[in-house]
Amino acid sequence: MDKLAETATPEPRSSIEKPREIPEGWEPNILAFACHYCAFAAADLAGVMRLSYPSNVKVIRLPCTGKLDHIYVLRAFERGVDGVFAAG
Amino acid sequence: MIVGEQKPFDEIWDMVKGFKRVLVFGCNTCVAICHAGGSKEAEILASMIRIKAAEEQVEMEVKHAGIERHCEPEFFEPLMEEVKTYDLVLSTACGVGVNFLSERIGNIPVYPGINTEFFGAVPQAGVFTELCAGCGNCILHLTGGICPVARCSKSLMNGPCGGTNKGKCEISQEVDCGWFLIVERMKQLGTLEKLYEIQPPRNWACGTHGGPRRVVLEHIKDLEDENVKKES
Repeated sequence: MDKLAETATPEPRSSIEKPREIPEGWEPNILAFACHYCAFAAADLAGVMRLSYPSNVKVIRLPCTGKLDHIYVLRAFERGVDGVFAAG
Repeated sequence: MIVGEQKPFDEIWDMVKGFKRVLVFGCNTCVAICHAGGSKEAEILASMIRIKAAEEQVEMEVKHAGIERHCEPEFFEPLMEEVKTYDLVLSTACGVGVNFLSERIGNIPVYPGINTEFFGAVPQAGVFTELCAGCGNCILHLTGGICPVARCSKSLMNGPCGGTNKGKCEISQEVDCGWFLIVERMKQLGTLEKLYEIQPPRNWACGTHGGPRRVVLEHIKDLEDENVKKES
């Protein structure tokens, strides 16, 4: 669309998710999409070094973060994940 | 190809929120190329509607599907039985697809998920430009292959007008003057003298001003009609 038409479009109505009260002790469920060749290898190395990370982060290995599709992120949110972390 | 853009999500939500079973139905030809309404976009839109429904606490079942073309009946056949089980089909095909499915689906409404915009080309990935207006009376041989109907903001037949400014149109500095492009192209082709010929007023009835258009190829249609007769 051209500039003129763009300026005529009204502001979008819906906002981001409404703010809610956070219960005490709540921890977000985080899904990490990691590239096989860098971030996942780094996570592997961290494991070999016996370093730990919080248990509320679950790692999914991708052949490349270029494989990360919009729908993977949306599916994660639909299934109750609170945050998505892409590393690559 | 036909270029479209997805409607704003709020508009889509207003359309679908009253329905219990919704199918987001993609078309994998033109609107898939412009990333507006292919199977992939239909899946994303279905997911967004489900998330919104959950947030608004509206009970709703939203699925997605896609076929190669919404403008020819044979592509629908394998899915039609399933499509008819929904309360609403939110089609992400172009307007042609929405009309075409509406006529065939019986009592189920078909709503548009995208705004259909123009016939366009893809000069670079992610950019779509209008080059033809489908006016039904082509004069590209007179204008160096550049269409004044689609690319001059006033669709002038004898241009440019006084609003041309260093190759740009008076409506916006971002819009090329169609007639400037025509003159430059005809200079390059060595056919500038053709422009001295004044073009008469156009017959716009060949375009949409003459009502809905229809093209019939008798030799193919008659054969089809005969086959249908034989079968029945």
